[in-house]
Amino acid sequence: MSLTLRIDGERWRGHLRSVADAHPGLVPVVKGNGYGFGRPALARRTQWIGTDTIAVGTYTEVPSVFSRYDGDVLVMSPWRPFLPEVRDGSAYDPRIIHTVGRLEDIAELARSQPGARVVIEGLTSMERHGLDRHSLSEAAKLLGRLQLEGFSLHLPMAGDNLDEAEGWIAAQQASQLDTNTVYLSHLTDSELTTLRERRPDVTIRPRIGTDLWLGDRRALRVRASVLDVHEVRRGERVGYRQRAMPRDGHLLVVSGGTAHGVGLEAPTSATSVRQRATSFAKGGLEAAGLALSPFTVAGKQRWFAEPPHMQESMLLLPSSVTPPHVGDDIAVDVRFTITTFDRVEID
Amino acid sequence: MTASLTVSTISADQHRAFIAGRSSASFLQMPSWGAVKTEWRSESVGWFTDNGAIAGVGLVLYRQLPRVRRYLAYLPEGPVIDWDGDDLSRWLDPMVEHLRGKGAFGVRMGPPVVTRRWGAATIKKAIADDALRTLDEVPADANDTAGLAVVDALASLGWREQATEGGFSAGQPKYNFHLPVGDRDEDAVLRGMNQLWRRNIKKATKSGVEVRLGGRDELADFHRIYAETAERDHFTPRPLAYFEKMYDALTDEDPQRMRLYLAEHEGDLVASTTLVQVGAHAWYSYGASTTEKREVRGSNAIQWQMIRDAMASGASVYDLRGITDTLDPSDPHVGLIQFKVGTGGEAVAYAGEWDLPISKVLYTAFDQYMKRRRS
Repeated sequence: MSLTLRIDGERWRGHLRSVADAHPGLVPVVKGNGYGFGRPALARRTQWIGTDTIAVGTYTEVPSVFSRYDGDVLVMSPWRPFLPEVRDGSAYDPRIIHTVGRLEDIAELARSQPGARVVIEGLTSMERHGLDRHSLSEAAKLLGRLQLEGFSLHLPMAGDNLDEAEGWIAAQQASQLDTNTVYLSHLTDSELTTLRERRPDVTIRPRIGTDLWLGDRRALRVRASVLDVHEVRRGERVGYRQRAMPRDGHLLVVSGGTAHGVGLEAPTSATSVRQRATSFAKGGLEAAGLALSPFTVAGKQRWFAEPPHMQESMLLLPSSVTPPHVGDDIAVDVRFTITTFDRVEID
Repeated sequence: MTASLTVSTISADQHRAFIAGRSSASFLQMPSWGAVKTEWRSESVGWFTDNGAIAGVGLVLYRQLPRVRRYLAYLPEGPVIDWDGDDLSRWLDPMVEHLRGKGAFGVRMGPPVVTRRWGAATIKKAIADDALRTLDEVPADANDTAGLAVVDALASLGWREQATEGGFSAGQPKYNFHLPVGDRDEDAVLRGMNQLWRRNIKKATKSGVEVRLGGRDELADFHRIYAETAERDHFTPRPLAYFEKMYDALTDEDPQRMRLYLAEHEGDLVASTTLVQVGAHAWYSYGASTTEKREVRGSNAIQWQMIRDAMASGASVYDLRGITDTLDPSDPHVGLIQFKVGTGGEAVAYAGEWDLPISKVLYTAFDQYMKRRRS
C-alpha cells in the first residue's frame, strides 16, 4: 500500500564514502524534502559520514537536523531581520552559521547578535543573493564582533563556472575580508580539482546535495504497489473524470499520487530536448489528454488513464500485456526532490 | 524647497572668480582651457539662483558636426556644480536648455565625481593575482555613495555612459591615480612610497640630479625629450606649439597655474615634466625622459620635487592622472600603473563621461562618425 524507496545500503554507503573521500571539506546539503530520503535520515547519515558541517536551506529546517547531528549547521538562505526565527531568537545557537548578503543585514546582526558566526555571500551570475564585490570592504568594516567563518558562492549550474569561481575567490582574497575559507556550490569534480591546484592557500568547502545523495541512482529503487486491477473495454468510462478508454485492456490502480509528488510539474532543470522529454515522462502531465506516467510495467512506461489522484494513480495497460497481480510491486521513476515516499527501506 | 536655477553665458572673469572661491576644480574647467582648445569654440556658463548669485560654472567646448551648424557641447571633467545635491535635474535641465539654444545636438560631460577607490596595497595584490584582469574586478577599498548616486541619477535621467576601452575613452580617463597629500608631511608621504621609489629618489640625489623650474623658452628642451619619449613608448607627440599655447593660456590666467620642471645631471637634461594646479588639486600633466642616463633616476627625482612643491602650495591631492583598468602583467600599460602605485597613493574611478542626445538623429550620426574615425 505504498510508494517505497528501497536503498541498496552497501552500494549507497560506498558511494557516500567515495564522494566524501574525493572532497575534503565536504559540506553535505540537507534541504527541502531531503532529496526524498527526509532530512532527519540524511542528518544521521551525515553524522555517519563524519563531516564537521551540514548545510540546510532555511531556518525552519534547522530543528529537523539539530538533534540528529553533532556538528555545525550552515543555513544557506540569507539571514533577514524579518524572519520569524530571527525575531523570536530561535535562529541563534553557537552551532549555527548564518549566511549574510546585505550590508544592512551585517550591521543589524552585528548589533543584535555580536559573536554570531557568519559566512558572507558574493553575488554571482546567479543574481540571487549576495554582495556586490565592491561592497566587500564595507562588509569587512561592519563585521564588528561577528565571527567570519568564510566566504560563500552559489554558482549557476549552466556553463563554465570555474572562471567565475576563481575570479570571485581572487576578488575576496584581494579584499579586506579576512578569511581563507570558501564555501561553494555547483562545481564539477574536475573544476574543484583545478581550483584547489590554482588556489592552494584557500580552504575550499564544496556544498554537495544531489551528487552526494542521488549520485548513484542504481543504488536507489522506487517501487509502487499494485492496489487493484480491472479489465476495461474500449469506450468504457472510468475514473473521476469518466473519460472513455481508447482501447481494450486493464486498468491498474497503483499507489503514488499527487500527495507523493507523482504527476506534479515543476519547471525542469533539463536543457536539451531529450532531457526535457525524459523529465516530462518522469514528472510532467499535460492538462488534457493522456500522458505518459512514470510507472513501468513489463519494461515500458505506461499511460495514465486519467490525471493522478491524491494518493493513487490509474494506469492503462493494453490487452497485449499480462497485468500484474494485486500486491505486486512495479517500478517508478520519480524526481526525488519533489517526491515524498511512504517508506524508505535500506537493505 | 529648492529654488530653481537658470543658466546663461558668463564672462571669463566671473567664471574664474567663482572657482577661486572653491577649494578646487579641474583645470579642464578653467576658461584658460578654452583658450588651449582653439579648434573648438568655447563658452563659460554659469548657474544663477533667484537672487542673481552664481551657484555653479562650466566650461563648454563646442565641437561642430561636419557640414551642419550643430554642435556637440562638451564639458570635460565638469561642470562645476553641487553634485552632492539630491536633485540633479535641477542643475542639468537648465543647462541642457541653454545648450540646445546654442545649437547643441547633444551634450557630453564628465562629472568630477569619484565613485570608488583602491589603495596601493590592494592593487599590488590584485596585479599579482592572475585571476583578476581589470581593476573593476577588484573589490574597492571604499565606495563613494554620493558618487554612485550621481551615476544612478544620470542613468535615470536619460544620460548614457560612454563606453571606454581599457579605461581610456576618447575623452578623459575614467581611472586615475591620486596621491593624497593634504594631511601629511613630506616624511609621511615618503614613508608611504614603496622601497623602489624611495631608493630611486635617494639614488637620484646621490648621483647629483638637480631639479629646477624652467621658463617658457625652455619648453623647447622639454619637447625635445618628449618627442624622444613618444618614439620610445609609441605614442603620437603633440607639437611644441601646443605646449606653448597651453603654457601661455594657463600662466596668463595665473602665473602659478602651470609649471615646467627640468631634471639635469651634469648639465644633461634627463627628465622634464609639467605640473598644473588649481586650488588644492595638482596634476602631473606631461612627462618626458631620456633613454640615456636612466640609471640616475631623473623621473623619480622630478616627481618628488613636484609632489613637495604641490604640498608647499597647499595641494591636498597630487594627481598622477590616467591609468588603464588592466591588471594583466603582460599588458604594457600595467607598468604605468605599477610606477604610479609605487607612490603609495590610490586608484580612483570617476563616474565616467556621459552623453545626453538632444537631437536623436544628429546624435546617432555623430556617434557613427566618431566610430568610423576611430576604426
